[in-house]
Amino acid sequence: MRGTVNTAASAEEAESLGSRVSLWVYRVVALIAGMALFFPPANPGRISEKINAAASLFTTGISRDTITNSMGRILRSQWIQDSDITLLMISCIVVMLGVIACAAGACMSLGNRKMRRTGLLLPLCGAPVMGVGLFLIHRAYQNMLTHGEEVGKLDTIKVMIPGGFWVFCVFAGLLLLTAAIAFFTTEPEKNRAARMEMDEKYKLFLMMLPVILLSFIFAYLPIWGWRYAFFDYKPGGVIGPENYVGLKWFGSLFNDPATVSDLIRVLRNTLIMSGLGIATSWLPIAFAVLLAEVRSTRFQRTVQTLTTIPNFISWVLVYAIAICIFSTDGFVNSFLTNVMHQSGANTNYLQIADHTWLKMLLWGTWKGVGWSAIVYIAGIAGIDQQLYEAARVDGANRFRCIWHITIPGLMPTYMVMLLMSIAGILSNGMEQYLVFENAMNKDVIEVLDLYVYHIGIGQNQIPLSTVVGISKSLIGVTLLFGANGISKAIRGESII
Amino acid sequence: MSKKTKEPAMHIKRTAGDWVFDTAIVILFVLFTIICVFPFYYLLINTISDNDLVTSGKINFFPMLKDAAGNGVFGVQINNYIALQNVQDLGSSVIVTVARTVIGTALMVITSAWAGYLVTKQKMWKRSFWYRFLVITMYFNAGLVPWYMNMLMMGLTDNFLAYVIPGMVAPYNIILVKTYIESIPVSLEESAVIDGASTLTVWRKIIVPLSIPILATISIFGAVGNWNSFQDSLLLMNNRPDLYTLQHRLYIYLNSSSNLGAMMSQGGTISEQAAASMLNQRVIQYTVSMVSIIPILLVYPFMQRYFVKGIMLGAVKG
Repeated sequence: MRGTVNTAASAEEAESLGSRVSLWVYRVVALIAGMALFFPPANPGRISEKINAAASLFTTGISRDTITNSMGRILRSQWIQDSDITLLMISCIVVMLGVIACAAGACMSLGNRKMRRTGLLLPLCGAPVMGVGLFLIHRAYQNMLTHGEEVGKLDTIKVMIPGGFWVFCVFAGLLLLTAAIAFFTTEPEKNRAARMEMDEKYKLFLMMLPVILLSFIFAYLPIWGWRYAFFDYKPGGVIGPENYVGLKWFGSLFNDPATVSDLIRVLRNTLIMSGLGIATSWLPIAFAVLLAEVRSTRFQRTVQTLTTIPNFISWVLVYAIAICIFSTDGFVNSFLTNVMHQSGANTNYLQIADHTWLKMLLWGTWKGVGWSAIVYIAGIAGIDQQLYEAARVDGANRFRCIWHITIPGLMPTYMVMLLMSIAGILSNGMEQYLVFENAMNKDVIEVLDLYVYHIGIGQNQIPLSTVVGISKSLIGVTLLFGANGISKAIRGESII
Repeated sequence: MSKKTKEPAMHIKRTAGDWVFDTAIVILFVLFTIICVFPFYYLLINTISDNDLVTSGKINFFPMLKDAAGNGVFGVQINNYIALQNVQDLGSSVIVTVARTVIGTALMVITSAWAGYLVTKQKMWKRSFWYRFLVITMYFNAGLVPWYMNMLMMGLTDNFLAYVIPGMVAPYNIILVKTYIESIPVSLEESAVIDGASTLTVWRKIIVPLSIPILATISIFGAVGNWNSFQDSLLLMNNRPDLYTLQHRLYIYLNSSSNLGAMMSQGGTISEQAAASMLNQRVIQYTVSMVSIIPILLVYPFMQRYFVKGIMLGAVKG
């Protein structure tokens, strides 16, 4: 930012430190307030516990149905008046408009001096508007309180001031303060002819900002959920100092006998299945090399097309196909009965736990090998033909050509794939194992991802499953960087 | 697909060993191809055969109907597909799945095209930082339960938006688009900028039309992913069975021990007795599976080159 020579940036350099600090505080607060519009826990409009907890300020402002969906009787009996709900919605819209003005001002404050001065006028109006909206929300709260007292139903309608109300009060105050400081320390543009302009780099950034925010909300914000690992949290409960347990759940990974034996079993399954996958990771290469040896291009193309189909169906459908082939009335049994004339062939192969690991490997191979081979097929097409010609002149047969030219040519790609699968050794996904799981094979099929799903979502053990998930994430990242380091050291190229 | 010819090798005489080897690999590939394709064919003939023959395991290689004496003869019927309209909850899941496939894919493609273009702009403030910020999410995730708690906190459980909003930013697709756009000559863009076109105009009028091949590729991948989606429905839609996706619905059908025939809504075009005999659980499972495979099989032949292009671009990136 410092090294740039254009006028907008240098104008900013000229401002005092206090002005710049308050500008940045203002921008950050405006950004957070903007996001908080869509953030249900920070909804200042949830002035009764009966208002849907999943509604954000934005939803409260626009959707009457959403906020009232669990207060049918309360509204019918007029314990909460319709007019108060309307007042609440209007005041939420007012708050929202104030926040939007502040956010727009924050965007404009990235422009040149003229644009910044104009932009800073927006929060100077917007923050007071937020204040008015919040006051109206408080009014709606008081109305509900008095009306509830009159009808004697305060216990049912549970009127309250939500935490989000105070959060937004703080936002409004901070925005007003910082914007005012920034506004009055920014000298007005003396050149009357100056126009509002923004440096290209900030324009581009602002255009990118929505994407960045979405990514932040859905990929980074979940890390905030790691805090559950440090509390005795039960679904629907709260977390606070009273149930803070420190590292108890991390300890239970090593101390609690039941958890330890579960983990050992689950890790065994995970490592064996990933290990089998890595041990057979050369199969796509073999597939590609052999396919390239077939002379007919049309045959090659047909095989390639048909063998990639299974990659595009979901694991649920793979399971449907498994039922179709291997269940009691499936293909294998009817083939044995009708064609081989074997009597009493009615085994349900899916219910047999023997060789589960191997079966899962075979299903994975069936689904994936044709698809994984595509990279290598293209790799073979990219190998210089002169190498083969030269080798043949020197008297090499086709096996030697494969061994000394094709395979070495595919090795770099293979190394990348191998390192990635080593880095992902703990993540085999849960869908495949979930659909194939049954009472017979659940001890041998439960991998780490499925285990987390079972204890977290199935048994509601949020803290324990979070701890397992954290450990898995951290190990995964470590392995990835390890693999990347190895790759850099050996090939001089990074894989991520 | 490799189009290379082996002209130089042609004049070399094939030895007996070569002949055996060539035959062996052809047989090997024919076998493996059959293993890949036959299950789909078998599923299909099970849905178009007589249902009694299916459940008594009489179908092997051809669709069969019963003749007057009750023996199986070659024949086809499509009553099962017609009867699907009476299967409870199937209609809503098809609508939900189609909706999320169309909306979710469109949003994802627009976002990827937009972000993929912007990250090629060297001028952007902290460009490489933001690019890494997006890309690193491919290699790291907070874990299933924190993710679930986050969706809960955002009010995205039991909510259709949960199907389309979180999938909008797809880092891998952004990389693919970025790589592709970088191969477009900069001069095209520069001349438009000199003519006074804004970033949005350049994106809309020049970048998007020129990136159609890569956008087609990612939309196919996105559409297949959305069509096959199962996990988000399983995790997030606990109280809204009407929002289950087709795969989730099928998963429930496949696991239901009760007779699905009993789940048929009353009435309809067929008599109850006929319904009871025709619509046993197994056949409904097969027919619903077939219905959810058919769209993929239909688009697949046309889209295969895009699939291949997609994975190749990914491989180039490494």
